Amino acid sequence: MSDTRALAADLEPEIETLSARPTAILSVRQLMWRKFRRNRLAVFGLVVLTVMYILAVLAGFVAPYGVRETHQQFPRTSPTAIHFVDADGQFHFQPFVYAITRAMDPKTFTMTSIEDTSVRYPIELFIRGAPYNILGIWKSDVHLFGVEAPGKLFLLGTDTTGRDLFSRILYGSQVSLTVGLFGVILALVIGASVGIISGYYGGWFDEIVQRIIEMTLAFPQIPLWLALATLVPPTWSSVQVYFAISIVLSILSWGALARQVRAMVLSLRTSDFVRAASYANASPPRIMFRHLLPSTMSHILVIATLTIPSMILGETALSFLGLGIKAPMTSWGVLLNEAQSVQVILQLPWLLSPAAFVVLTIISFNFVGDGLRDAADPFSR
Amino acid sequence: MLRYIGKRLALMVPTLLLIMAVGFGIMQLPATDFVDQYVLQQAAIGNTGMMDQAENLKTQFGLNRPAPERFVLWVGNFVRGDFGISFSDLRPVGAVIMERLPMTLAVSFLAFIVSWGVGIPLGVYSATHQYSAGDVGLTIFAFVGVGIPDFLLAIVLLVLAFSATGNVFLGLSSPEFVNQPWTLAKILDFLSYAWLSVLAVAFTGTALIMRVTRNNMLEELGKNYVVTLRAKGLPERVIIWKHVFRNALHPLVSIFGQVLAFLINGFAITSIVLNLPTIQTIYLQATLRQDVFLASTILVMIAITVVVGNLISDVLLAWIDPRIRYE
Repeated sequence: MSDTRALAADLEPEIETLSARPTAILSVRQLMWRKFRRNRLAVFGLVVLTVMYILAVLAGFVAPYGVRETHQQFPRTSPTAIHFVDADGQFHFQPFVYAITRAMDPKTFTMTSIEDTSVRYPIELFIRGAPYNILGIWKSDVHLFGVEAPGKLFLLGTDTTGRDLFSRILYGSQVSLTVGLFGVILALVIGASVGIISGYYGGWFDEIVQRIIEMTLAFPQIPLWLALATLVPPTWSSVQVYFAISIVLSILSWGALARQVRAMVLSLRTSDFVRAASYANASPPRIMFRHLLPSTMSHILVIATLTIPSMILGETALSFLGLGIKAPMTSWGVLLNEAQSVQVILQLPWLLSPAAFVVLTIISFNFVGDGLRDAADPFSR
Repeated sequence: MLRYIGKRLALMVPTLLLIMAVGFGIMQLPATDFVDQYVLQQAAIGNTGMMDQAENLKTQFGLNRPAPERFVLWVGNFVRGDFGISFSDLRPVGAVIMERLPMTLAVSFLAFIVSWGVGIPLGVYSATHQYSAGDVGLTIFAFVGVGIPDFLLAIVLLVLAFSATGNVFLGLSSPEFVNQPWTLAKILDFLSYAWLSVLAVAFTGTALIMRVTRNNMLEELGKNYVVTLRAKGLPERVIIWKHVFRNALHPLVSIFGQVLAFLINGFAITSIVLNLPTIQTIYLQATLRQDVFLASTILVMIAITVVVGNLISDVLLAWIDPRIRYE
C-alpha cells in the first residue's frame, strides 16, 4: 500500500507534465492516415496516381499536340532529342530541339529522321497550339510546353500516321484510368448490397446467394470477358462502347466483394449498435445501409483498390486485341494495339511506351491497396 | 473426407450447367448466327449462290430450332461425350480440341512447374534474408511481375529474342516438325519455342507465389516454436525446411486452384498474341464466328479445370493439415 502511494508520488510530476502538454485526440481517420503514411511504397503509389489522374484531367493542357492532330510529314518519327548544348558546344539554359528532316536510308530504304543542327527551337512554356476543352468548362489553346510552329517536339515519337504518341498517351489515360473506376463502382454497388442483405437476413436467401457467388467465382474470367466483348455491336458510339466495356469488366468482380462484405456483416450483426438500432425501431434497410454499411466501408475501399488493377489490365488486354475501346476513342490498350507485330516494334520500339504507363499505374494501385489494407485496421500493430 | 469430396462433386454439377448455359447463351445473343455470318462473308467475295443455301445449312446445323431446345440437346450429348460439331471446319468439336489439347497441357504444365519451382525457393530466400539487397530486389521483381501484363511481356521477349537470335518465336514448333512424330529433336524444337510463352506466363505466377511464400514464412518465423527450435540447437536448415516451411505451406496449397485458374486464364491472351496452337486461341476465333459448340465446349473445359483445381487444393489442404476438418 505504501509502495503504491510512493509510486504515485513519484509519478505525480510526470502526470502533471503530461496533462499540461496539449494532448492530441486523433480520430480513427487520422489514425488511418498516420498508419498509411508510414508505408513508404503506399505513399509513393498515391503520389504517382494523383499525378496521373491530374494529368488525365489536364490532358489537353499538358499534351503538346491535339489528340487527332497528325503531322503528315512525320510518320514513324523517333522521339525528339532534347538538347542543352548546341552543335558549337555552347550551353543554353533553356532546353531546345533541332529541326527534323526526313530522309531515306539508302541501305534499308526506310525513312529516318535527321537533326538539322542549323535550326534551333527552344522549348517554351505556355505556347499556343491546338485548341482543347477541359471538362467542358475551360476552353483554350495554350499548352504547358511546346516549340514554335515549324519545329516539332515528339517526346515519345509518333505513330505510323504521324500522331504524337505522348499526347495520345495522355488522352488515352482519360479512358484507361476511368474505365476501371467505373467498373469498380458498379461492382461495389452490386457486391456491397448483395453482401449486406444476404449477411443480414441469412437463412435460405443467404444460402442461395452464396451458391450463386461460388458459381460466378468458378467462371474463367478472361475467356468470358472476350466472349462478352465480342457482343458489343460495332455500330455503337465510343461512349456506349466505353460503358459496355466497364460493365463487362465488373460482371464477375462483385462476387468476391459480396463474400467479404457478408462475412463482416455476419460478425457485426449481433453487435450492440445494431441491436440498439433495432430497439430504436430502425427499419432493416436503415440498419443495413445506415449502420452496417459505414462499418464495412474501409474494407470495401481496400478491396476496390485491389480490384482496379485487374480491370485496367482487362481493358488493356481487350483493346489490345481490338475487342475493347475502339478508335477514334483512345486508350492505352488501343495505342498498344498498333504495336502488335514484331516487325513494327523492331522498327518503332517507342510504340511500346504506353506499356510503361500501364505497369506504373498497376504497381501504384497495388502499393496503395497494400497500404490501405494495413491502415484499414489502425489499432493493430 | 469421401463424403466431403462427394458433396463438392455434386455441387460442381449445377455450377458447370450454369457455365454451359452462359457460354451457350452468350453465343445466341447477337441477331445473326454462324450461317448468316458465313453467307455474308461468301457474298462479300462474290459467291452469292450461298444465299439460297442458307436455309439448308441452318437445317443441317440445327440452327433453325429454338435455342433452348438446342441447348438441351447439346447438354444431353455432352454428357455422353459428344460435344457437337464445329461449324467452321465441320469436324467433331472433340477432335478439334484433342488436336490442340496436348500442346495446351504441355505449356500450361511447364508454366505451372516453373512458377512453383522458382517462386517457392525465391520466397523462402526472401523471407530468410529479410531486408537484404536480395530481398529488396526480389520484392521489386514481384511488384513488377504482378503489374506487367503477360501478353506485353511476351511481346517484349519476342522482340528481344529476335534481336538476339534473328528467329521469330511465334507458334510452338518449326515448320519442318509439324505433323512429325514426337522424336527427341522435335521435343527440343518444342522447348526452343515454348520457353518464351512459358516464361511470359510464369513470370506473374512466380511473383505471386513468391510473395505468398515470403509473407507466410515471415509470419511463421516470428512464432515461439522457432525460438524453441533454435534454443535446442537445431541447424538452421532443418528449422527452415522441416518446420517453418511445412507450416508455411498451407496458404500456398489453398491458392493452388487460384494459380491454376490464373495460368489458364493468363494463357488466353498470350496464346493469341504468340499464335500458339492451344485451345485458347481457337476459343477467340470460335467466339467471333459464333461457332457455338466449339466455343462453349472450350469455356466449359476451362471452367472444369478451375473447379477441379479448387477441389484438389481443398482436399490437399485437409490431407497435409490434419487440423482441418470438413463436415
